[in-house]
Formats: sequence, C-alpha cells, structure tokens
Amino acid sequence: MVDQLPNLGREAEMLASMGMSSMEDLFADIPDNVRMKGPLPLPDAQSEEEIIADARRLLGSNVALGERVSFLGAGLYRNYVPAAVFQLITRGEFLTSYTPYQPEVSQGMLQAMWEFQTLISELVGLPIANLSLYDGSTAAAEAITCSVRVHTRKATQKNTVYVSELTPPDRMSVVENYCQGAEIEIKMLRHNPDGTVNLSSAQEAAGSCGVYVEQPNPLGVLDGGLPLLKEIIGEHTALIVAVQPVSLGLVEAPGAYGADIVVGEGQPLGSPITGGGPIYGIFACSKPYLRLMPGRIVGRSIDVDGKEAYCLTLSTREQHIRRHRATSNICTNETLIALMGAMHMSLLGPEGLHDLAVRNMAACALGKQKLSSINGVRIPHASSHHFQEFVIELPGTARDCLAYLDSVGIVGGFDLARWYPNQPNWMLVSFTDQTKANEIELLAAHIEVWAASKGVAA
Amino acid sequence: MSHLFGHHGAPGKGYSQPAPVLPASELSVPDSLLRKQAPRWPRISEPEMVRHYTWLSKRNFGIDTGFYPLGSCTMKHNPRINEVIAQLPGIADVHPHQPEHHLQGLLSIYHEMQHMLEICSGMDQVTLQPVAGAQGEFTAVRCVQEYFRLRGEDQRTKVIVPDSAHGTNPASAAMCGFEIVEIPSRVDGRIDLDALRAVADETTALMMITNPNTLGLFEADILEASEIVHSVGGQMYYDGANFNAILGITSPGLMGFDAVHFNLHKTFSQPHGGGGPGSGPIGVKAHLADFLPGPIVKKRPIAGDEANHAIDDMWYGWYQPIHSIGKVQQWHGNAGAVIRCWAYYRRYGNGLKTMSEHAVLNANYLRHALHREAEAAGVSDMIVDGAETDVAKHEFTISLGPAKESHGISAMDIAKGLLDMGYMAPTVYFPLVVPECMMIEPTETESKDTLDTFAEDFAKVLQEDAETLHNAPITTPVRRVDEVYAARNLCLRHPYDED
Repeated sequence: MVDQLPNLGREAEMLASMGMSSMEDLFADIPDNVRMKGPLPLPDAQSEEEIIADARRLLGSNVALGERVSFLGAGLYRNYVPAAVFQLITRGEFLTSYTPYQPEVSQGMLQAMWEFQTLISELVGLPIANLSLYDGSTAAAEAITCSVRVHTRKATQKNTVYVSELTPPDRMSVVENYCQGAEIEIKMLRHNPDGTVNLSSAQEAAGSCGVYVEQPNPLGVLDGGLPLLKEIIGEHTALIVAVQPVSLGLVEAPGAYGADIVVGEGQPLGSPITGGGPIYGIFACSKPYLRLMPGRIVGRSIDVDGKEAYCLTLSTREQHIRRHRATSNICTNETLIALMGAMHMSLLGPEGLHDLAVRNMAACALGKQKLSSINGVRIPHASSHHFQEFVIELPGTARDCLAYLDSVGIVGGFDLARWYPNQPNWMLVSFTDQTKANEIELLAAHIEVWAASKGVAA
Repeated sequence: MSHLFGHHGAPGKGYSQPAPVLPASELSVPDSLLRKQAPRWPRISEPEMVRHYTWLSKRNFGIDTGFYPLGSCTMKHNPRINEVIAQLPGIADVHPHQPEHHLQGLLSIYHEMQHMLEICSGMDQVTLQPVAGAQGEFTAVRCVQEYFRLRGEDQRTKVIVPDSAHGTNPASAAMCGFEIVEIPSRVDGRIDLDALRAVADETTALMMITNPNTLGLFEADILEASEIVHSVGGQMYYDGANFNAILGITSPGLMGFDAVHFNLHKTFSQPHGGGGPGSGPIGVKAHLADFLPGPIVKKRPIAGDEANHAIDDMWYGWYQPIHSIGKVQQWHGNAGAVIRCWAYYRRYGNGLKTMSEHAVLNANYLRHALHREAEAAGVSDMIVDGAETDVAKHEFTISLGPAKESHGISAMDIAKGLLDMGYMAPTVYFPLVVPECMMIEPTETESKDTLDTFAEDFAKVLQEDAETLHNAPITTPVRRVDEVYAARNLCLRHPYDED
C-alpha cells in the first residue's frame, strides 16, 4: 500500500496543522458502540509483484477460450478486437475520467460518445441512441418498461407487453425484475417449429404496449417474418428488436422495417467476453421515445463564442435531477466499453463490418454443412437461415456430448436444457470470425465419434 | 477539430481481414433479410483512427491529468497493474457459461471477494452480481420486497429516504414499485430522528441511508435510526457510496443495517471510464440471504477427480439461493471490475483501514487548508461550511451562498474558475440541502502538496471578480458550453446532409 498513499509518513504534520494529534481524532464522531474492535481478519498487504503472481496463478488456471477450440456463444461472442482499440482505451484521459459533468474539460469523451450515438444510430437505422446500458438484458428490460411508459395510456391492453417465448431465462429474469415494480404483465409471443415468430400469435399483441423479439433469435435463426411485425401490431405498440450488432453488417437494420426501439449486447463490437462483464448494452429508439428513454445522451451545442461543443442533454429524465420520477435509476453505465465499440466500428468501416458479418455467417454455414452430415445429428431449424449459431439435436443429451468434447479439449457449445428444460438433446453451436475450417472439421469428427458411442452407426 | 464523420475515408474494401471460410456467394441469404443501405460512416485507416482518438483524449480530463476532487465519485488513482491483470486471458477470454471446472481460479477470486466484503461490512452473504451502485440498490430493494411478500407483509409499501440522499435511492425504490417518503435533514445536516419517528410505521418496508451521509458527516444517531425502523418491522439499507470512509473502523452490520451495496469501483478501484463501468455487489444479513440474485460462489472440500481441476483443496461452485429474485444482469456481474478490485484489495489486505484513514485525513486537511487560505486571502466571508461539524469524513461540503449573495458569484462560477486553474471541479449543487453547494472529495491518493496548492488556487479563484468568473473558463478546449442551446436545438447524432 506504501506506493499508493502519498501521505504515509506525513500524518503527524497534517494532523498538527488541524490541531489534532492522532488519526483517532478524525474519527471522534463515530460512537464507541458501532466501532469495529480489533483489526480486520484478512491477510497481509501484498506488493505488486506478489499480486500479479497470484493473478497469473489463479486466472491462469482458468480455461481461456483461445486455448481451446470453442463453439460456445449463446449471447457472447469471441470476435477479434483490433490492437489499436486496446492501446487507445488505456489512455488515462479516457480511462480515468468520469461522467462529463464539466463539459469544458470533457469534450473528448463527449464528442466520442456523440460519435458513438451516430455509429449506433446508423447501425440500427434509428435516429437516437444513448451512451450504453449495462448489458443486453438490462437494455431489453429498460426498452420494455420504456414502451409501457410511452404507450400504456392509449393501449387497449394496458401495462401489457409480449415477449418472445424463446428469450433465455436469465435474460427473462432481468426483464421480470425490471417490470414487476411497474406491474407490467408479460405475455408470451409464440414461435413456429422452424424457429420463426408465429405471426398469428403476434396479432394478439396488437393494442399492447410493446413486442420484444430478437434478430438473430436465441436459436440463431434469422427471422424473415420480423419485417411484417410492425404492420401487424400497429402504430401504438412498440416493436422492440434485440440485435447482435455485428450481424447488421449484412442483415437488415431493424429501423428499416419499423422497429421503434433496438437493443442488444454490444460486446461483439469492441470488447472481449470478460466473463460476461463489463460489456455494454445498446439502446436506440425513434423520436416518440426520446423523452421517456433511459440513460445518458450527448447533444451537440456551442460554447459562448459560438464554437462547436458537446454536453450531456435531456438530463431531466435522470435520477440525479428527477429522483423517484426518473425514467431509470441508472447512473454509472458502460461508457468506456461503448468507446471500445466506437473505436472498433470506426476502424472497420461499413465494408469491414460487412466482411466481419460475412466471416461469422460463413463459419456458421460451413458448420451447418459439416454437422448436418453426421448420422444421428439433426438440425431442427434447418430450413431457416442462421447468422452465427444454430441448434443441433443429438442422439443423447447435450450434457453428455459436451462432457465428451471437453475431454478432448473442445468447448463444444451450449447445453440448451439450461434454457429449455424439455430439450435435453439440443445443443447451441456458435461460430465467429475466429472459427477456422479445420476446427469445424474437428468438431464434426468428434461429435461423430461420440454419436457412434451412443449406438448410432457412423 | 478532428471529426470522425469529417473523414473522407478510402474507397473500396475496408479494414483487412482473413478470407471467410466459405465464399460470401455461397451464403444464400434471401434478399428480404439483407441490409439495403450500408451504415454511413467512413472507413478510416489505422493511422487516422489512432490520431483521431488520441486527439479526443487530449481534450479530456482524467485523474491521470490532474486533481479530480469530484465529491461522491471517489476519483482515486487507478493502479496500472489492475489493467494488466484484467487483460490476462484467464479473465478477458472466459465465458460465463463455461463449466465450473474451467473457472476455478475466477470462482476462487469471487469467493475471496465475497468473503472480504462480508468481513468489512458485517453482513452474512454477499453477491457480486449487480454491475453498478444503482443496480445494487435496486437489487437489495427487490430482495427486501420479496422477503416481505413471503412473510405476507404486503402492506409495506413505503421507502423512507433523507432529503440529502443520492438520487439513485428514490429512483431505485420507485422502480420496484415503492412509494417514496422523503424526510428533511436537521439544520446541521444529520438525520432528524423525530421526522423519522413521525413517518415510520407498519407500512414502512425500508429506510435507505448513506453513512457518512452525502455531506460527508457521520450519522452518530444511526443505531437509534435503525432501532426506530426495526421497531416498526422495517429494514435498514446502507447505501455504500461512502463506504470508503469507514473500512475497518465501523461497519453497516455494527450500525444495524440489514442490507448494503458496495460501489466496488469507488471503494476499491476500477477506472470510471467517462461514466462507467462500475460494480455494485450487495451484502445482506442472514434473513435476506435466500433472496439474493445468483450465482453466488460457495466452497467445499474437493471430491473424486476434482483435484485435476482444483486450485487448492477446495472446490468453488456456483450456487443459487432458494428464493432468489433471479437476475439483474444476464451474466455473472462485471467480472472484469471484480478482478481489478480484487487486485486493489490485495494491495491493502488487513490494512484497508489505513486507506480509509488517509481518505479522511486528506478530506479534513483540505477542508482546513481551504478555510485557512481563504482567510489569508481575505475572502473567508465568501464560503461557509455546508454543515457544521468538527470533523468531516472522506468528503465535505462548502456553500458558496455568501459569495452568491454578496458578489453574484455562484458555485458554478467557482467550478469554472477552477477548470482554468487546471483542476476538475468538485461536484456542484449536490446535496440539494446545501445552497450553492460544492462537494469535495480529495481521496487518499492525493499528496499533501497537491492539497496545499489546490487550497491556494481555490483562494485565488475566490478573489477573482464576478465578471472574470462569469466568463470562465477561458483556457479550456471550449469555453462555457450552452446547455440550454443543446436542449432546445437537439442534435444527438451527426446530421449528414440534413444539416
């Protein structure tokens, strides 16, 4: 700790200048009956060298995905993030700043975030984006509560939203926690056997406050029916679409087919998976939602000399001004990670983003070719299009298959029984720009061996 | 000016990448799914991109740039080793859905952090799942809500907050559906027990309070406050935003609290990155533990072939409490932030108390120095303490009320004058109970020399005439920004040709 505290050893001098004689005098206002007795029962302080050694030992014992052949995605994806992003993000002026309450000395981050808003706006095809929410699930939850704030007065199904029945339980749980205080009723939007939205189920959602779907959806399916949804549910029901942002290099922007709010896990653009955080949630919307949306927003303005300048704006929606009437309680967000996203997007350019999307989809298509040819393995949604992941149905449990693959050094995918308990044989296999053709061959060969061990002829 | 959207960009293909494993022509995506209009932003080369963001960074103030006494936000130095550790593949390149035996190291660090926070806070169980302080508040309020539901105490619809509370407290409680009852502070800035008694009843679910409070004052009556709330069957919630003042000295548990959140990024260290990320774990007493969001890490002795994957003789596993409210973030919290804070904690170990002592030492020293320098400069009549006290804790408030009245100089004017002196300004106009408030938190990582110079410079700013200060800042990349213009002429993205 010595290297972190500049005034160690200067205590007496500083105390004396205040007419005090001991550190204890600084805590004279804390009554004895709430005092901690004795030292904290914790280990001794360590030096930097000891800390990094322990970190290398403990974190080194984890299996990093890059050390293995990996097909695990299910919401977080290993895309390559260019070196420049990591180098620039450690600049102390970005790294060690905070919310730009003083715009005159925060123009760098403010402009970078205004550019981020523009990048996201262009990416999803909607005019407004905020500076990020915590992750995709909280962005989904905030979008749903926002849709109710905007629409419930005119809705025929008041305080009601329809959410895709495929939504993973962990994400759904976040949505439920955010919705329960506003007494929002969550109804399920059904899907067809091929993984696409059931459009007659969508008709039931007309007159509700909002409809939440994902593109690609949790089964990896790109749903051609989504562009029809807005017309079905009508003007006064928000169409909320969650996206994997990299897919938008290739796939239609939801704003182009009537989405009112677009959310998503920003992670694949700019950020490593990092055990699931810090990552960033994307939130973009159209104008009617602007004044009731959550999160911070930067506006372009001028200074007293008329010079271009940026500042936070529309803050009266926020908790530090509006308190219990705020649109959200969010204060600290994920700006730094969003900045990594902006850097990644600016380096890729639209063509680079397109190429990145193609690489993800190509790996997925090759995977589909190879895995579909294994005896005993079926692709339940084979007739649908997939972006970067799809479901395989195995001749045994996914749990068993994953354990086998793990034993040969392959992180095989995601056991969908964790989301859909009645599908123990479903495994979600994910591909990214990092997936090599020979890795797909390896996966297929090992699943074939495993399937044969289940009594399926090779 | 460097504008991302002002770059013309190179024609043709963008950023170079390996070829796809299948040619794009074999992808057969139906037209109905394909994007029709490419996003409009330039493809810029790496040299242009690096220079753009470096230029932007130079127009931004961080702790590394200079003194950042932003009260409540705890802008302390971020040790660089934490960034190195957070980039190790064993954290950067792991997925929360990997099996436990892939993540024993990470889980052991989670367990160590849970345990350390339990010890420091006097709580029985910690979860690391919430990703920010406000989310921690929301999570804890949800747990209390479910606790009362299970007990059939649905009539508890009220949450009490002092008028000096952070805005997130009432916002978080309101998000859970509670009615907010605000109680006024006493004139000396402390909690008014009579006002609390007057509103606490069988409809009270929770009281949310920060201690030291947002004026940087320790609430000496906190045990009485806890007794009042508990006597009507309510719960006590500790907003841990100011926990960095009391580590090893007292604890929320000793003060009678039932639940607490930690702003891990403030109490320990995760760079705040222009607004985030943070990390907001919560801790609760045993009666609330079954309601926590998971997963929580528990350990047990290893069995069978677990030794092949174990890091010691214990097995670390995820655990879901029986009445869990579920999740508040889809994954396992901000693991990368937890790792950085773990590295910071390891630096202090059982000496965390020294960290708090120095935070408080620096705050009090600066408070004295400010008054001393103002006195010496003959401008002591322009400022008064935000609240009367002998000692402050890790932060303190001053009121520029007198300056405003006698000279027409506001807290904002002084803030802008400080920017011209090369400082980040303190928090202004919060807490709301202090007129023309300035809230100053130097943190433990500032030297006496910095504090001395800041106090001298502060007195110099107080000596400026009103007109100079109204025109401040003049040395910054832009001068005073017109926030009203921004709100009236909303421009939230690059307008392209719509300009």
